[in-house]
Amino acid sequence: MRMRLGWILGLAAVVFVGASFTLASAQAKPIKLGQIIPMTGEAAESGKYHKQGAEIAVDKINAAGGINGRKLQIVLEDDQTTNPGGVAALQKLLEDKEIPMILSSIRSTQVQAMLPTINEAKIPVAIGGTNYGLTHSGSQWVFRFRPHDGMSAKVIAKFLVEELKHKKVASIHASDAFGNGGRDMLVPAVKALGGEVVLDQGYNNQEKDFTAVVQALKKSGATGLNTYMTFGTDLGVLARQIKQLGAQVTWVGSPSITGVDSRNLAGDALYGTYGVTDFHVDASPTSTEFAKAYKAKFGQEPDLYAAWCYDAVLVFAEAMKKAPDLRADNLRKAILNIQKFPGAEGEYNFDQNGDGLDHYHIVQNVNGNIKYFKTLRVAR
Amino acid sequence: MAESLSINGQLLFAGLAIGSVYALVALGFVMIFRATNVVNFAQGEFSMLGAYFLFSLWHGLKLDYFAAMALALLIMVGVGLLFEISIYYPLRNRTFLPVIIATIGASIMFQNGALAVFGPSPEKVRPVVETVEGTGGITLAGVFFDYQYVIILLVTVLLVGLQYLFFEYTILGKKMQATSQDKDMARLLGIPVVYMIALTFIYSSLLGGLSGMLVAPIFFVTHKMGATLGLKAFAATICGGFGDVRGAILGGLALGVIESFGGAYISVIYKDGFSFLVLIAFLLLRPQGIFGEKVAEKA
Repeated sequence: MRMRLGWILGLAAVVFVGASFTLASAQAKPIKLGQIIPMTGEAAESGKYHKQGAEIAVDKINAAGGINGRKLQIVLEDDQTTNPGGVAALQKLLEDKEIPMILSSIRSTQVQAMLPTINEAKIPVAIGGTNYGLTHSGSQWVFRFRPHDGMSAKVIAKFLVEELKHKKVASIHASDAFGNGGRDMLVPAVKALGGEVVLDQGYNNQEKDFTAVVQALKKSGATGLNTYMTFGTDLGVLARQIKQLGAQVTWVGSPSITGVDSRNLAGDALYGTYGVTDFHVDASPTSTEFAKAYKAKFGQEPDLYAAWCYDAVLVFAEAMKKAPDLRADNLRKAILNIQKFPGAEGEYNFDQNGDGLDHYHIVQNVNGNIKYFKTLRVAR
Repeated sequence: MAESLSINGQLLFAGLAIGSVYALVALGFVMIFRATNVVNFAQGEFSMLGAYFLFSLWHGLKLDYFAAMALALLIMVGVGLLFEISIYYPLRNRTFLPVIIATIGASIMFQNGALAVFGPSPEKVRPVVETVEGTGGITLAGVFFDYQYVIILLVTVLLVGLQYLFFEYTILGKKMQATSQDKDMARLLGIPVVYMIALTFIYSSLLGGLSGMLVAPIFFVTHKMGATLGLKAFAATICGGFGDVRGAILGGLALGVIESFGGAYISVIYKDGFSFLVLIAFLLLRPQGIFGEKVAEKA
């Protein structure tokens, strides 16, 4: 008898607790936002920064009352730094029908692998991959929160050929979608300004010895160098060997040259080099505000990995406010209608392709610190 | 002429330097194979662990660089012993397959363990010789010699020499050889087989750890560093003939040089392909390796 009483009481408690949970969640059930980051694999180092950038934006939104009274909540999935891993992570997030929008990869090759799935799913996906084709292949559902490589290549060409007067330029690039894409945009941009690409040199990710590459660079007679490198460790090895083998070039790198890990690994081998970056702390009041909040929470300076995720969460949240039914087509329209939105990266004006930005900052490595040099805007 | 000489000289040095790294790791493969007839797929991870121990002691605990290195090597002795006790010993009487699978499992565990403990950011360790101007080397006759690579080459030569003398001229070396050739016979002759094998694991762990510490300033310390090294060293070991010390060294150096010149004169993108082409060629044409195996029926 006593046992049966216990059972009844226990059951009642479960029902009661359950009911109170449903009641509470009906009032303010958080809105889920999916985020795909590398937690394992070669790029795991950058995954942490992606996560932290998004967290700052979520904190900001929730502190200001959330989205139409509901809190925002990030749901993380690991892409394992591989293309199949990225697609699997995306599919996993898509299975959760409560997720209206997703932040995906900064790696072009991964976004490319995910594109068919994104187009089939028909929900807005934020990307940080800068390969030009990603937003120019007819997909209506990808929104880019960094300027594309066509712009970075144009800015690099403009800076090297027009401003620094280097007519002979070398291109050293990773032989993946990001590296080859960068090269493909650089070559015509340099030509258009009257310069010449005298060396087109690809290499495989995780290369440990660049002797042959640096020799080809010296032999080419190039005075200006551009790199599109995917991994900080590769950049560290190349920078060291350029210094050791005495190649005299003005180096203007793609954004990875300004990353924390690259600078930490390469040390003084990168002093004096230039880079283009879409994010710099001193570039705008919004960037400075973001950096302050980031430093207060994580004790370190944010980098571009964190910045684009911060912006993507803010812009998506803004779209959710404008389209409270959270239907994909309405969210898409809301994003396209967002004009002059101040982000940490810059001012967002989305075009029909899904590109939000059209500028790049030139920065210089001055004794290990990345100093703001100037901002160049180019035609979309 | 002088220019092409210095270019080729540079390529040769780079190839020998990278090759000697492969060779050092390959030596570890060979040692364990000789003692147990098993391939230790966690050999590359010994390098990674060594590099991380050095980094933690030197950068984390702020110890003197050389003291940190000595201490890290001491820890590697423990790692080798623990590895033998937990991975090899329980499976010693089984066929080679369970042991190999266990070493693969250990390698995955080491990699992810390092990722969990040290995080995903690559770390930097100082080179053995620190120079004022910061290139870390010297240019002679148009060829740049990185001190760290010179040291790696010297260490490799030294270890090969010592290892050769040890196996051919000491009782302990002979006992270890006897153990690898026929365990039952060795046991009958009164050789403590279990200790011999434990000793081999300890030495291999030391060797791997040392190679990891030496390449840390050049390749940087990441949880993945052992996997890349291990794969190339494995190829080198096969070219050299499994179980052959001289072959492993020659295989490692040859792979490094082939990669270096292939990268310069054929294609940088297919650089990794060259070493595996050589590997396939060896497997097809000369599976016993460069020098052939001393004991043909061993495998």
